[in-house]
Amino acid sequence: MITSPTIDDLLEGAIIALEADVLPALDQPKAQASVQMIQSILQGVRQLLPVYEPSLVLEHNEMNAALRDAAEKLADVEGPEAERVRERAATIGAEPDMAPPADAEAVRAAHRQRTEAVRDCVYDLDVLQREGIAAADESLTVLRAMLTSHYLNYMATFPMQGGMLGRG
Amino acid sequence: MEVQLSASLGAVLDGAESVEIDGFMALPGGFSRETFRFDASIWNGSTTTELPMILRKDPPAAVAILKTSRLVEHNLLEALRANTRLPISRSYCAEMDPAVFGERAMIIERMPGNGQTSDLFNNGPDADQVDDVIRHLCEVLVELHETSIDTIDPDQALRDPRAVGIDPSTWDSYMDTTFEYYISSYPEMEYDPMMLLLLDAFLSLRRTKPRAMPLSIVHGDFNPANFLYADRKVTALIDWENTRIGDPREDLGWMALMDVLSNTQVMAHPEDEGGFLAYYNKLRGLDITPEEIGYFTLFGTANIAVPVNAAVARRARKEHTEFLHLYLVQSSAPALMSFLSLLGYPGVPT
Repeated sequence: MITSPTIDDLLEGAIIALEADVLPALDQPKAQASVQMIQSILQGVRQLLPVYEPSLVLEHNEMNAALRDAAEKLADVEGPEAERVRERAATIGAEPDMAPPADAEAVRAAHRQRTEAVRDCVYDLDVLQREGIAAADESLTVLRAMLTSHYLNYMATFPMQGGMLGRG
Repeated sequence: MEVQLSASLGAVLDGAESVEIDGFMALPGGFSRETFRFDASIWNGSTTTELPMILRKDPPAAVAILKTSRLVEHNLLEALRANTRLPISRSYCAEMDPAVFGERAMIIERMPGNGQTSDLFNNGPDADQVDDVIRHLCEVLVELHETSIDTIDPDQALRDPRAVGIDPSTWDSYMDTTFEYYISSYPEMEYDPMMLLLLDAFLSLRRTKPRAMPLSIVHGDFNPANFLYADRKVTALIDWENTRIGDPREDLGWMALMDVLSNTQVMAHPEDEGGFLAYYNKLRGLDITPEEIGYFTLFGTANIAVPVNAAVARRARKEHTEFLHLYLVQSSAPALMSFLSLLGYPGVPT
């Protein structure tokens, strides 16, 4: 996976391009409104993306606790409704809390640091290969084998739609 | 804009008393230049001549993908027109004063023919013409590669047009100085360290230099989008801004890659000759192998990849806000598969 440009950079770029390249060329009010709606959605996604997964986990854990606390308040109450509340607390609400996801920015920085280390190995191995050291060929093959799946994953998850657009 | 166009054309067209400009509009094609079409009506005092034209304009420096000279391109087109039978546009003038058109620009003849070359492939409306058109395209490329360098480039402007230290005095010096250019440029084009695949390619190319071949004038962006056709013939080979002295196998390798990325099948035609490479070899009496094409796919791609990715890197650093450069991050990803395969990465699906 690449870490630069970021997903946020790509979304921001699309919003800017809609404003600078598309809106001025539109003369239909409905089309203009649609572009502004698309910009609004994209801006929303920009704000949603970094907090989405941490928020889900936080809310998951808060709901667990609330389900248990709410059942406790009904400790002296009888009847099928109170039973169902206690049942939910004892089953769904009793499941373990989830661990908070790793900080996305920290993951990105750590990934980048390791990719740079691999790149620097490629530089060093080239020197050794040009000196005729066969082990350097094998060492490069190890790195390449690891990288293959990374590149294939990147291509599969960020595919180009159609041919290279805008070239005829 | 119309006033400046009229004045520029009036100054270069013999006998023109007035020039009227009609239908000026931007064209969507082309990643590296801003391109506009228009018609010029030339009045010489007794008759009017209508000329279809194109204005090719440099983009602002920060967003430029290829930093090339319109004057060099103008001189090249005129030299090729004077000395070959290649189907190319007449270039009327190069305007190197950015004050005139907003950026440096050139005015060229708008050639006839269909530029939607995807119509030739995948059961498109002109699929019946594909063998004849690609046969002619191959013949055009052969003529370009066999044209005398000294005749076309007396000023030696095509020896190192990017001024990056290329020395084409021999094939070896050309290759060695080009490797140095690629490798030393890597840091400025690395918008993400995952681009180390390109670095690996540059270093591998230097370690595995193939057999020598006489250098020639190479088109430099010979790809399925850079020709027009009509009536089973190529009517124009276009976009000469990256032309330079180089190894002719570069044009073949770049076409092989762009054929894949463009979802076209230029390299598979003409079928009765066994495909583009076989026909090229036959016309030139050569025996260029598919392995050499693979090598020069990487080599020729590197020539474009260096300036293109440097421009993308400037976008990633937010030095400008042009969207095309972000799109290039996505649209160049399919090329990775070719790179992985050509470099022999383990585990690449066949």
